[in-house]
Amino acid sequence: MEGTKRQAVVVSLIENMGDNGSWCGETHIQKSLYFLQEMLGVPLNFDFILYKHGPFSFDLRDELGVMRSNMLVELKSKPYPYGPSYLPGEAAERLRELYPKTTKKYKPQINFISEKLSGLSVAELERLATALYVTLEEGRNQNAITRAIRINELKPHIKIDEAQKAVGDVDSLIIEAENEFH
Amino acid sequence: MAALCHDLGHLPFSHAAEKELLPEGWDHELLTIDIIRSEEMKNIWEGMTPPLRVEDIFKLAVGPKKFKDIKFNNWEAILSEIIVGDAFGVDRIDYLLRDSHHAGVAYGKFDHYRLIDTLRILPMSTSEEHGSKEPALGIEEGGLHSAEALLLARYFMYFHPVRRIYDIHLKDFLIEWLPEGRFPINIEELLKITDNEVLAALLEAARIESGKGHGPARRIVKREHYRKLYEKSPDDIKINPEAGRSIYKELQSKYGNEALRRDTYTAKNSAIEFPVLHSDGRIYTSYKLSNIIQRLPVPSFDYIFIKPDLLKESSEWLKENRPDIIKTLILED
Repeated sequence: MEGTKRQAVVVSLIENMGDNGSWCGETHIQKSLYFLQEMLGVPLNFDFILYKHGPFSFDLRDELGVMRSNMLVELKSKPYPYGPSYLPGEAAERLRELYPKTTKKYKPQINFISEKLSGLSVAELERLATALYVTLEEGRNQNAITRAIRINELKPHIKIDEAQKAVGDVDSLIIEAENEFH
Repeated sequence: MAALCHDLGHLPFSHAAEKELLPEGWDHELLTIDIIRSEEMKNIWEGMTPPLRVEDIFKLAVGPKKFKDIKFNNWEAILSEIIVGDAFGVDRIDYLLRDSHHAGVAYGKFDHYRLIDTLRILPMSTSEEHGSKEPALGIEEGGLHSAEALLLARYFMYFHPVRRIYDIHLKDFLIEWLPEGRFPINIEELLKITDNEVLAALLEAARIESGKGHGPARRIVKREHYRKLYEKSPDDIKINPEAGRSIYKELQSKYGNEALRRDTYTAKNSAIEFPVLHSDGRIYTSYKLSNIIQRLPVPSFDYIFIKPDLLKESSEWLKENRPDIIKTLILED
């Protein structure tokens, strides 16, 4: 999926996360789309690497810039300590009208991700998304402590006990997603 | 050393249309990596005291974007951000100041001394509850005006339509002039073609009607460049997110491919967020503290250019047909 169709999915996620109480900064969007693509298999074709606060996509960052310039999303400042929020922009409604089938097709996955991740802080999302990254890299059969040690190696500011909890949370989330979608 | 080597792989005339002038999958960053890893350079790295590791140099010189399988630790991420980062990368600081100086454009100037003096490594937030403790490149509050001036300079400098059409004419010339229409990716061969070789060939091609690339070369040398016929507007986009594409398609049917050129671009990482250490001891996001950053538009354009002799006729045609064309969607769900 590419171009405006993919943007329709991103707008739909941003709107849904906002409805679920997320402050929806860039980290929220980056990590939620990572889960949507890598855990639930929505074919968004963003390239993720391990970078800022865990898995990060430069393509997605660029796409958000294009979407801002085309008024599909806009940024709004939030009080300390929050960073800016993304909201659907003036032209977002038109995009939804143009892609009703796509928006509808991925609605259940978007709802699932929004429900699970909207309430998390940047620090929690960073731990959880890095735990998914390591789990996909090392395999689910790898025990939790080994994966936690790997997370701590990659992101030394994440303590091992925090990493271990994140690994447990990701394993539960994967099982829940499998029950829901397979 | 990584900073010095950062731009080694640039083609003549830098970014002008490298996508079309290199084989699929190649860009100047991959060429930079190849040059850093070449035998000639390897001898230099090994001869230094202590010897430098090739991997360290190309990782930091190019940054994480190009490496899916190589991980950057926090320090490597920050060091590469100092070189290639969107907000304060030394690459940006250097090219803005240099281009401004050589082009005689005052926009590009800003107080880089102040900016560099105030750079700090900071977590994104002082909030225990919400923020990540991952270190990032930020500034002290006193450097915010310099950072704003850098971002404004970048916004003003590079998007003039006449500059853009000259890039396109240069690309058209190079496609006709280069063997097989592409630069070689063999480093030895590539480094033989500098700006000087291209300029000399361009001037010669402009003089000789049967020369390779005569048409575009003449347009550059004689200032017979294509003129701007259309640029995207917010009103068009609200009706049709792909308005530029729809209009270009219709113009192609009416006037043919050769008479037209389209150029679209949106700046990368336009939401510039970095940590700022405030005098109250807290760390805020730049977006919160700077009204300029909040209001800075995303540099973005979609231009359609046409042959100068068709400008008048096509402008009238477009004025009449534009509303209907915009309503024609070329999107599929």
